[in-house]
Amino acid sequence: MKAIQVKQTGGPEAMELVDLPVPEPTANEAVVKLSASGVNFIDVYHREGRYKVSLPFTPGQEGAGVVTAVGADVKSVKVGDRVAWSHLLGSYAEYEAVQAHRLVPIPDGVTDQQAAAAMLQGMTAHYLVHDTYPLKRGETTLVHAAAGGVGALLVQMAHDIGARVIATVSTEEKAKIARDAGADQVILYTQSDFEAETKRLTDGQGVDVVYDSVGKTTFEKGLNVIRPRGMMALFGGSSGAVPPFDPITLTQKGSLFLTRPSLGNYIATREELVARSSAVFGMMASGKLKVRIGHTYPLAEAQRAHRELEGRMTTGKLLLIP
Amino acid sequence: MKAIRVQHTGGPEVMELVEVPTPQPKPGEVLVKVAVAGVNSIDGQFRDGRLRTPLPFIPGQEGAGVVTALGEHVKSVKVGDRVAWSGTLGSYAEYVAASADSLVPIPDAISDQQAAAAMVHGLTAHYLVNDAHKLKAGETALVHAAAGGVGLLLVQMARAIGARVIGTASSDEKAKLAREAGADEVIVFTRQDFESEVKRLTGGKGVEVVYDGVGNATFEKNLNVMRLRGMLVLYGMSSGPVPPVDPAKLSEKGSLYMARTTLAHFTATREELLARTSALFAMIADDTLKLRIAKTYSLSEAAESHRDMEARKIAGKLLVIP
Repeated sequence: MKAIQVKQTGGPEAMELVDLPVPEPTANEAVVKLSASGVNFIDVYHREGRYKVSLPFTPGQEGAGVVTAVGADVKSVKVGDRVAWSHLLGSYAEYEAVQAHRLVPIPDGVTDQQAAAAMLQGMTAHYLVHDTYPLKRGETTLVHAAAGGVGALLVQMAHDIGARVIATVSTEEKAKIARDAGADQVILYTQSDFEAETKRLTDGQGVDVVYDSVGKTTFEKGLNVIRPRGMMALFGGSSGAVPPFDPITLTQKGSLFLTRPSLGNYIATREELVARSSAVFGMMASGKLKVRIGHTYPLAEAQRAHRELEGRMTTGKLLLIP
Repeated sequence: MKAIRVQHTGGPEVMELVEVPTPQPKPGEVLVKVAVAGVNSIDGQFRDGRLRTPLPFIPGQEGAGVVTALGEHVKSVKVGDRVAWSGTLGSYAEYVAASADSLVPIPDAISDQQAAAAMVHGLTAHYLVNDAHKLKAGETALVHAAAGGVGLLLVQMARAIGARVIGTASSDEKAKLAREAGADEVIVFTRQDFESEVKRLTGGKGVEVVYDGVGNATFEKNLNVMRLRGMLVLYGMSSGPVPPVDPAKLSEKGSLYMARTTLAHFTATREELLARTSALFAMIADDTLKLRIAKTYSLSEAAESHRDMEARKIAGKLLVIP
């Protein structure tokens, strides 16, 4: 089968298209023929070595497709089932052997491409607003990168809950996406200081929670716009990792709460995984949640996909189609 | 009036007994004749300069007494009222001028000593188990310094909620006090490693919450004893401040939450202050909460109270009686 492989970490060119044997499932695995693989920033972190993976490896943490073979002990899925998964490395390929208990069913009303587009980012947005900081009607949230993959879903979910959403984006085009997603106010951080603007928009009170996937360039200023006892949910670092900070800062800024969540800890059991993915797919099937597929690329163009993602040239989800 | 004055920061000996003019209450303030002042570790931090305040100053943040004069525009108290306070510098004196909004009425069932002993530590314990991490029946809490000022009250409150309490203490004698207060298990950390003990006591899963007023000495290990998505509440730093924290660690250790809190943010409005103190005084009045008053000192013995506090041999509240 064709697959992308990283033999040495580096830039986009570290990803090579290679020929590998089609995997055979072990007793607890199922083999899935991929319809689509989701491209995520975490793929970039794996490729460049920021998050360590043993070499060589096939990137990609998210996929959807049809089961073509099951191992002897597999009961939760059968050949022909449409399934999706996330958080398991190896989806930039034509086939992947996946632990069966990590596969979730794709309901009617959701396509394979939509499922691949929604797993990681949809479940991330879902856990952030329902569990990390359960957002309530009437609360105010600041969402960075609000036109990005997770951002746009976060805005929709927060809006659906009835929270007020202040969004930050880099361009007018992205501002429109954020507004269409339901943002109440959008700040172009390239033109205004989001700290001053957020304070102004909240009459100096600050927001209840900041959902921050940007990290380095936004963290400190983000702490300044949270109301006393509010929360900083730092769930990514697209501008770079946040360096170590003095915890007393949290006290000085109002006895703030900080968390640095990651999806894996919010889908730790099959029960939680199935509940969360069903919730996300349910919202998509009913039209409540729109997942924008920005661009699809053939598997062979994985390098281009990464270049465009890192160059912040894209809006919407990027998919690789084997 | 007689008062303790700090002219320059340093050890307990910098606290001198002096004769100074009785303060005049400004508009919104009230003059209180101090019956009892509470001794707290924060007093030591102001005295030795770890916390800054203009010199010279009168230490002491907490007390109980009787209102003797009103400044202009005061309506919430009258002369003769028995009141208690926390957060007003100047309590190691015969009189203190305090903002009327910071004073709470003392119910008849509570003595001056009880009120002065309960304010800082009691309000702290109250906000910790109700608001920093709302402790629930069936959860397990790790309480460091379980025989300390806040510790003993935390243990009792956690117990009253129906949580399981694992405490740490520096000696068998203190462990006994913590057990008497209701701790289910107490780890004498000078003999045992609290990390491996907590893991053992929780079947490897860890605790839902750590309440830590110790700071530096316990921080790293605290991250290892929490369950997935658990909460670390840092409310003090008796062993010194926690050095800079890498947020990625919170993610690695299980998408943990952390807060670095201070009482002021949990009694920020008069409404909240009154609600919290009422709840606290009710628990003392009905004996749910037993205060341990270890020793009383005259104003001239204030320096000795700090020596005793810093030697950490006495378990229980220290009070200065002007």
